[in-house]
Amino acid sequence: MKADNYNLRTKQTGSGWFRLLTMLGLLCATFIVNAQERTVSGTVSDGETNETLPGVTVLVKGTSRGTITDMDGSYKISVADGEVLTFSFVGYENKDITVGNESVVNVGLRLSISELQEIVVVGYGTQEKGDLTGSVASISSKDFNQGPVVSPLQQISGKAAGVNINQVGSEPGQAPSIRVRGITSLIGGNDPLVVVDGIQGNLALLNQIPPSEIKSVEILKDASATAIYGSRGAAGVILITTKSGQAGQTQIEYSAVLSREIIANEYDMLTADEWRTAAAQRGVAESADYGGNTDWFDAITRVGSTQTHNLAFSGGNESFTYRASATAILQEGIINNSNSENYIARFQGTQKLSDKLTSTINLNISSLDRDYNNGGRIAEAITRRPTDPIYTDNPLFTDVGSYFIDPNSFSYINPVARTEEIIDGDLTNNIFTSLRLEYEIFDGLTATAFGSWRKTNREYQSYVSPRTTREDARNLGETESVNDINQLPDGIATVANDVSDEKLYNLILNYKKDFGDHSIDVLGVNEWQKQVYNGGSSTVRGFIVDDPSNIYAMQSADATLYRQGDISSYKNDRTLASFLGRVNYSYMGKYYASASIRRDGSSVFGANNKWANFYAGSLAWRISDEGFMDAVDVIDNLKLRVGYGETGNQQGLGALNSVRLANNDGTTYFGGTVIPNYSITQNENADLRWEVKKMFNAGLDFGFIKGKLTGAIDAFTGVTSDLLFDYEVPQPPYPFGTIKANVGEVLNQGLELSLNYITVDQGDWYVTLGGNVSMNRTEVQELNGSLNGVPLETDYVVWGSGGTTGVASTNNAISHLIIGQPLGSFYLFKHAGVDSNGNQIIDDLDGDGSVEDGNRENDDRYLAGQALPKVTWAFTPTASYKNFDLSVLVRGAHGHQIYNARRATLSALGTLGQSNVLNSALETGVNNITYASDLWLEKGDYVRLENITLGYNFNTTSWSFVESLRLSFTANNLFVITEYTGIDPEISTSGGSGFGIDYGIYPRTRNFAVGLNATF
Amino acid sequence: MRTYKTDFRDFKDFIQMKNIYGLIIVMVAAVASGCTDLEEGIYGQQVADEFYASDIGVNAALASVYNEVRGDWNGKGIAGADRGWYDLNETCTDEMMFPTRSDGAWDDNGIWRAMYTHTWTGSQEFIGNTWNWLYRSIYKTNLSVELLEGAGADPAQIAEARVLRAYFYYMLMDGWGSVPFYTGTDVVIEELPQLSRAEIFDFVVNELETNVDLLPETKGGSFYGRFNKWAGYALLAKINLNAEVYTGSPRWSQAITACDAIINNGGFSLVSDLYDNAGSQAIFGDEMPNQEVILSVFVDANDAPRNIIGIRTLHGPHGNALFGFSTWNGATVHQDFINRYSDDDKRKAQWLLGSQPGGVNYTLNISSLTSAGIEEGARSAKFLPVPPYSGESASNDFPVFRYADVLLTKAEAILRNGGDEAAARALVDEVRNRAGLDNYNGAMTLNEVYNERGRELCWEGHRRQDMIRYGTFTAARSFKGASSDIYKLFPIPSDAIANNDRLVQNPGY
Repeated sequence: MKADNYNLRTKQTGSGWFRLLTMLGLLCATFIVNAQERTVSGTVSDGETNETLPGVTVLVKGTSRGTITDMDGSYKISVADGEVLTFSFVGYENKDITVGNESVVNVGLRLSISELQEIVVVGYGTQEKGDLTGSVASISSKDFNQGPVVSPLQQISGKAAGVNINQVGSEPGQAPSIRVRGITSLIGGNDPLVVVDGIQGNLALLNQIPPSEIKSVEILKDASATAIYGSRGAAGVILITTKSGQAGQTQIEYSAVLSREIIANEYDMLTADEWRTAAAQRGVAESADYGGNTDWFDAITRVGSTQTHNLAFSGGNESFTYRASATAILQEGIINNSNSENYIARFQGTQKLSDKLTSTINLNISSLDRDYNNGGRIAEAITRRPTDPIYTDNPLFTDVGSYFIDPNSFSYINPVARTEEIIDGDLTNNIFTSLRLEYEIFDGLTATAFGSWRKTNREYQSYVSPRTTREDARNLGETESVNDINQLPDGIATVANDVSDEKLYNLILNYKKDFGDHSIDVLGVNEWQKQVYNGGSSTVRGFIVDDPSNIYAMQSADATLYRQGDISSYKNDRTLASFLGRVNYSYMGKYYASASIRRDGSSVFGANNKWANFYAGSLAWRISDEGFMDAVDVIDNLKLRVGYGETGNQQGLGALNSVRLANNDGTTYFGGTVIPNYSITQNENADLRWEVKKMFNAGLDFGFIKGKLTGAIDAFTGVTSDLLFDYEVPQPPYPFGTIKANVGEVLNQGLELSLNYITVDQGDWYVTLGGNVSMNRTEVQELNGSLNGVPLETDYVVWGSGGTTGVASTNNAISHLIIGQPLGSFYLFKHAGVDSNGNQIIDDLDGDGSVEDGNRENDDRYLAGQALPKVTWAFTPTASYKNFDLSVLVRGAHGHQIYNARRATLSALGTLGQSNVLNSALETGVNNITYASDLWLEKGDYVRLENITLGYNFNTTSWSFVESLRLSFTANNLFVITEYTGIDPEISTSGGSGFGIDYGIYPRTRNFAVGLNATF
Repeated sequence: MRTYKTDFRDFKDFIQMKNIYGLIIVMVAAVASGCTDLEEGIYGQQVADEFYASDIGVNAALASVYNEVRGDWNGKGIAGADRGWYDLNETCTDEMMFPTRSDGAWDDNGIWRAMYTHTWTGSQEFIGNTWNWLYRSIYKTNLSVELLEGAGADPAQIAEARVLRAYFYYMLMDGWGSVPFYTGTDVVIEELPQLSRAEIFDFVVNELETNVDLLPETKGGSFYGRFNKWAGYALLAKINLNAEVYTGSPRWSQAITACDAIINNGGFSLVSDLYDNAGSQAIFGDEMPNQEVILSVFVDANDAPRNIIGIRTLHGPHGNALFGFSTWNGATVHQDFINRYSDDDKRKAQWLLGSQPGGVNYTLNISSLTSAGIEEGARSAKFLPVPPYSGESASNDFPVFRYADVLLTKAEAILRNGGDEAAARALVDEVRNRAGLDNYNGAMTLNEVYNERGRELCWEGHRRQDMIRYGTFTAARSFKGASSDIYKLFPIPSDAIANNDRLVQNPGY
């Protein structure tokens, strides 16, 4: 049904004569105009969601001619060339379009709701964005990165200041890491807490929800915002809200992305000819050359691909709304036999049981199937001599088939055999569900009972065939030379199972009321969580028949080859009980105050410290609403926020960490037989407790020039005390060499700025320039202390070592924890050249005539840099013109170093007889890597064009079944500007031991993707 | 559907009554009362205090000490695995070396060369590993002694634990001299004394003399691999033989007395063949003969612990040909050591030279410590791998004390004590004859005993002690200049000093 044209003027004045004259005039005018006018039609829709908008007023500017759109958002109007159509609709911004000679004019309207009125999810509730007193980043789906997205984190990369999303390599199914405001813990864990529609979990929970079903992501950054999560809030909190159904809008949505992936960068190794030349020059025995010409890297890699499909149904009526979706995320990695398939089904329904009682159910089922062949395969491939053949016509042993192996090398692995023949993967089934009952007791007071249950079952299977050439899978019996007739037992099969069961229950009382100029929002919550983890693993060895399906016939293995540890199982649990409360108060929408308290009890705390209290308070003042600001036209919004909070971190504590345990510890030979051995496997620490982070935050939100320039600036300083660490303790008197204890302190400070500027908003053009910059400083303040009278002198702790030769030499220590220095400081020897024998010369910095061995405070080492970037930034411009839109994400990180341990390993010319080396190694000329020196330290700065997406929204007015249709093209990782010589400068900045050291990664890919979004 | 709707209305009616308040109160009460129980579930784990209070725990504590003597990763155990006590005591002597090969193998940042040339420091990995292992073992024996005494156990079992502890302190005193001392399990570090070498010596001797006779005389069976009376006397003989090094005062006659206890009452004798002509492991295989081996360490590769002595010496293709896995081409011996064997000494066959299976050809001379040829140097067949084995471990047991050692110890003590040369010579001849050699021609000398010990006991972990006692340890050898006397003791590991700054480092480090 199309709406008819009608006269907008409803109130007419004047006498009957005048009315008659007017009508005649109008008739004449219509007659005259008809000579030049034509009919223009089109559809009006929401510019972001592409949902069509019924009831939009369409008016010819400067006239009273107009119409409104029908139920499908369509309109038809007569208009002359050059006239301007004005589209207006409540809640949306007006839009003017000059009509040219086209007959179809489709229009997308932008929401005009003030940004400040957007509803933002905060812990255990919601607030209007303008009322926030803490530092909260909010990203809605319209701002998400597009393209081949496999993890929700990829959608928000670069979108929030102080939120660093780091993708190391492109292994299928490998989600990026996320750090909110840097690193504040050593072993205590730096992963933020994840809350999906009230269901709490770890980062893995993110992989279990479909990225395309997320409506918005909120990240609580400062302690005044996260303190409501108490002993789990210190590392930040990610709140995810998923899409839900709307009453009266039945919709079917389908979206798909198809992507091809190529390797962006690879190592420049010697070719077979180059290797032979170098080997001859260096006197490598000729027996090391097996006459092949193999590009091992090429032999184990391929063009990768990613496909994502999402189908969603939603709709409902006044009392019942629902949304159901099915998602598939399918990846083929660039290393052969590395794959990931993630299938997710969701259902969400809300039923109004009465005027006062609403129930919401959420059900989410996923199945993630992965085949592993990780970055280690790359290391094996590039270090293989290019002169080794992949296959041989004269196999020495029957058990490896025709794969070549070098009998002269210790545990030789043929990388092609390894990648082709291994069965190594897992299937993770996950189900989580929640039920929410919300009851309005009286006006303003709501009681909510919420329960969630998440069950995960991971099934791991591996079969290591002797054909993988892996030493430990061969020769389980005796020699199998080609002359042997009998087939002897070989192969290793492993099946493991991990089950988790996480239950959460909370009861929320919330009172929200405005009294004149006063608004209050009071919250009280009682929460209880119980998590149980159990599982087991079985390995058997020695099958007569070499067959991957041995996984399903483990009983046919040779029982006499059982080794200690081949079978294991475990169970542990964790209980968390909490009481929390929060009061938000505002006066006249200008002055805000918020205070919260949480009391957490956890089973993993030591006996002497079972309960913890966390407090926070914050204030905000909307300066722009003060009378004295009325004269300042250019400022629309200016709000000052300050907050202080204490939060905790208990990720680093596991079950039974605080008690002295005597556990099964291998076997012992006693009484003439092998019996299980028991020994003390953990020291006691009844004082063991959460880490405490105290953080102060000050911020300013602003909007200038009628909302054209908006942004926020935040500064924070925080100290994590009671820092958890496995402190080394003297072995007399302790029975075990380390103790988990709360001793040290880490300082974390930063400055964040985010800006968005609407550069062009004219006619068909809309251009924004946006971005953010974060500066962060993390410093180890204290690691020493005393524990029950035992002094803990923990300074110059190795936080990542060489692994360059596989030898645990103290000279190999690279990254350190040093009091007064950034977390992860490169404390290295200074390279001073290479002598004629290819030995590295180390600068004797203290001039005492010898280079001191060792990693602890050492006068021949110096502070050479830090692993954590000092500055990270993102630039996110967008543009749209008519039906086209363009978005770009450029990201950068600066001020840090990377220790290129991979280059070091690949530069050891002394290993040339056994492996391949980098082309650059010939110039470097080092024989063996004997020191962790600054020769391998490089600048880590980079700028990456991470994402560029061009989209086109089709005009679907005349299409009968399609409501909206969008095609897009995305390129990921088009270029990286960096001086770093490794394959990618984005390596782990997670804060864990060894971060900032490039040990070799799964290659980073460059993707080209086509995307389709349609609603019906 | 109608039924459903009716039910629904009932429910609606119910909740519209003010009952909801009661419901909420009940829910709050239920949650608040049930949720504050923060007990941790204990599944399959043993809380130490409860475990060791049980009978099983008391036995497990003693059995657990024996877990520590078996070789495993990270330098654990007496012998067999790498980078622990065995390597520390072997690689600094003239009977074992790991030259860096011309292909860069065994460079390992110079860790092996530093041992050979006596240039190690407190951060040397073997030193830290061995120290930590010994103190962990002492804690375990302390716990075991406490528990056994507390439980009023069989005196023989208590004695066994005390002798084990004495053995660990003996190794500490032998390697480091003055070390921290404690015999309990609950010690405050400020109160932890660092005793002098002589004080530790007195403790060890006293413990042995008090407890040795309480030990069972049982050989093998349930006492295979355990300290019986004879192993206790063998340890007493050793510490007395080296008493002069430890305290400045010799105890030759006490050494002889301890040897006599074994020789006269132990019923031991030498087995007829130490090696056959092909050069195989003979007694150094899977299970050592109780006839000769007084204390052995049980090793089984399927059971995690490791013996890599045989695997580590052979060249890759050699291992491939013999066992189907690559061996490591590591440990070898300098030609000077081999040249001390006469050609008719059957024991010379333990050193593999010349053409071998797998197309390998070992040559005698080692040309360089930093870039030796791949196949240079003789390889030892003493611990030639016995199955079950893999590229990482074989199942050869290891002899801690052996009857031949006792005979040579007594011979040396007699000579040093100015005793009957003929009696000493007869003891040495007993060992020589088994090796296919005639009786020694001429008067037995200390130097001859020294060389006989080298030929007989090589790669069994005794050489460092012998060389120090004979004054040859720090002398110049091929690829090594004379080293300072400070190297007769190892430095206390730098990590240990960092953790306890009250520790006094050995002089010179």
